[in-house]
Amino acid sequence: MKHLVLRSALVSAVIASSGLVAVGLSANAQAAGTATGPTGSLTMSAPLTTVKFVYDFPGPDMELIPIVVGQDQGFYAAAGLKVNTLFPASTSSTSAMLATGAGNVGFITTSDMADAVAAKVPLESIANYSMTNNWTIFAKPGSKLTAADLKGKKIFSWGDTWTQTMLGFVLKHAGLSASQVTIVTASNDTPLLMDGKIDFDTSTTNYAVPAIQGADNGAKPVMFTGAQIGVPNIPIWVYAVTKAYAAAHPATAKAFLAATLKATKWAIANPAAAVNDFVKMYPNSGYSKAYSTTGWNLTIPLLKNAAGKFFVQTDAQWATLDQGMIATKQLKSAPAPSTYYTNAFIPAQ
Amino acid sequence: MNWRRVLRNVFGPIVSLAAVIGIWQAIIVWGHVASYIAPRPLVALQAITSNWSILWPLTSWTIKETVYGLVAGAVIGVVFGVIMAKVPLLARTVYPVLIMSQAIPIVALALPLVLILGFSLMPKVVIVAWIVFFPVTVNLLDGLNNVDKDLLTLARVLGASRLKTFFVIEVPGAITPLFSGLKIGATYAVTGAIIAELAASSGSSLAEYQRAQAGQLNAAGVYGTTILMTAIGISWFLLMLGAEYMATPWRRRSVARRGWRSGKQKLQ
Repeated sequence: MKHLVLRSALVSAVIASSGLVAVGLSANAQAAGTATGPTGSLTMSAPLTTVKFVYDFPGPDMELIPIVVGQDQGFYAAAGLKVNTLFPASTSSTSAMLATGAGNVGFITTSDMADAVAAKVPLESIANYSMTNNWTIFAKPGSKLTAADLKGKKIFSWGDTWTQTMLGFVLKHAGLSASQVTIVTASNDTPLLMDGKIDFDTSTTNYAVPAIQGADNGAKPVMFTGAQIGVPNIPIWVYAVTKAYAAAHPATAKAFLAATLKATKWAIANPAAAVNDFVKMYPNSGYSKAYSTTGWNLTIPLLKNAAGKFFVQTDAQWATLDQGMIATKQLKSAPAPSTYYTNAFIPAQ
Repeated sequence: MNWRRVLRNVFGPIVSLAAVIGIWQAIIVWGHVASYIAPRPLVALQAITSNWSILWPLTSWTIKETVYGLVAGAVIGVVFGVIMAKVPLLARTVYPVLIMSQAIPIVALALPLVLILGFSLMPKVVIVAWIVFFPVTVNLLDGLNNVDKDLLTLARVLGASRLKTFFVIEVPGAITPLFSGLKIGATYAVTGAIIAELAASSGSSLAEYQRAQAGQLNAAGVYGTTILMTAIGISWFLLMLGAEYMATPWRRRSVARRGWRSGKQKLQ
């Protein structure tokens, strides 16, 4: 018995040592330029270029799936890139991390981009992440409230620039002033909505719907969106870089978007596997697999425009955003839309 | 007036404050730090003065939160400290719970408090009081437990009642540690108020204003708000320092007051 245990321990030690050696060899090989292709096979290629990708939130969630898939399925490695994901200290730190060189490519809202340009932070949006606006006003499941009932009600806001901009559109459409509603900011929205402490929640469908369904046995919230509440259909999130980075590393920016496009398409075609990749990479994200699955499935329809294209930005989206931000006094003036973006790095589709 | 004393007490803090501002300015200028990362001190101050009409109502609201929370926390802290000092069994029973209360992240408390108490002033006051009471309790308890035993024995020999002994010997003996707790609590009170404002606010708050400035990459606005928050904390600390000065005349006076000398303050 003892002998068997000893032999078992010895075998385990040998296997563990082999594993460590294999890991070490793998690490060395990667440093030396060996990459794992999308098919999973080892291929020799040029040394990998490191791209520091900064997310818009202090922790990972399902909107990170295209990046995770790009890393896990080898799309970035096949493009000669090693993408390291960084998480900012706060939701407003991503732009600053890009500006200081702590990150290379960032994931930010278009309103953050506008604020960055207004603050003379030399950022440039290189692609849209989402192509449509899924920002929505929610009432709890079964609520009889309508979009015409906003006056005098408590409306939740995350306090971010995007929500402020969208609320400006909503109030204007409803013919209300800011003093005619009570804006509530808090660290969490769903418990407040479900407990009746707020009348309306504001968020995007891909985050709020799975959260509310999770809190109320799958019941769907009451939703008011788009033209119904006067909100323009403009993209929310973009990939951004500094102008200096774009000028110095155009090939890397192109390669990043090309690989991200492949990863995004793969994640759309294989949603369950994409969520599995996310759960595997971030098992302690704090989100359940059910939440991430619902959230990702709600994100997929947002990623292409009416022409079926990914990433492509327009003057109109930035001009409309500027109008909203000027109306809510977040911007003093509107720069030319071209100040914000370039489509030069977007791959052919 | 003792000018040497005034110089020692005022000149030192002014020099250290000037040094902090000088180092801040030097880092920004010599480090070529961009204005959206960190502003120069004067620019941060200008962000306060130029937005004073917006900032003052928010600041006065935060002051109100800290005052109510500080008073509530101090009262609760003193009550706990005295009871625990007088009932050792209770102290042994309650002390672990008090320590546990401070180990709970305040952020985790904030949402349940909002769900129970709503968006009024009350949850903010509770959070500030939660932060303030602990250093007051611990310091007062230590102070009361470490009163000179010989003095207590002397009071007993002279036939002083327990109440008289408490007020004439134990309270003065514990007043310095009590004020240490109050000074710590007063400084942290503003931190509690800001955490509470971030956790949930109805309408605007100083913390929300700062968050909005951060979102707009307005570093001057962020630093300006931080200066205001710091000023509130320092103000409460100085207020406690003043109260301590008034409450501890024996530190400045080696001779007993005239009334004491004439026998008006006998032990019995």
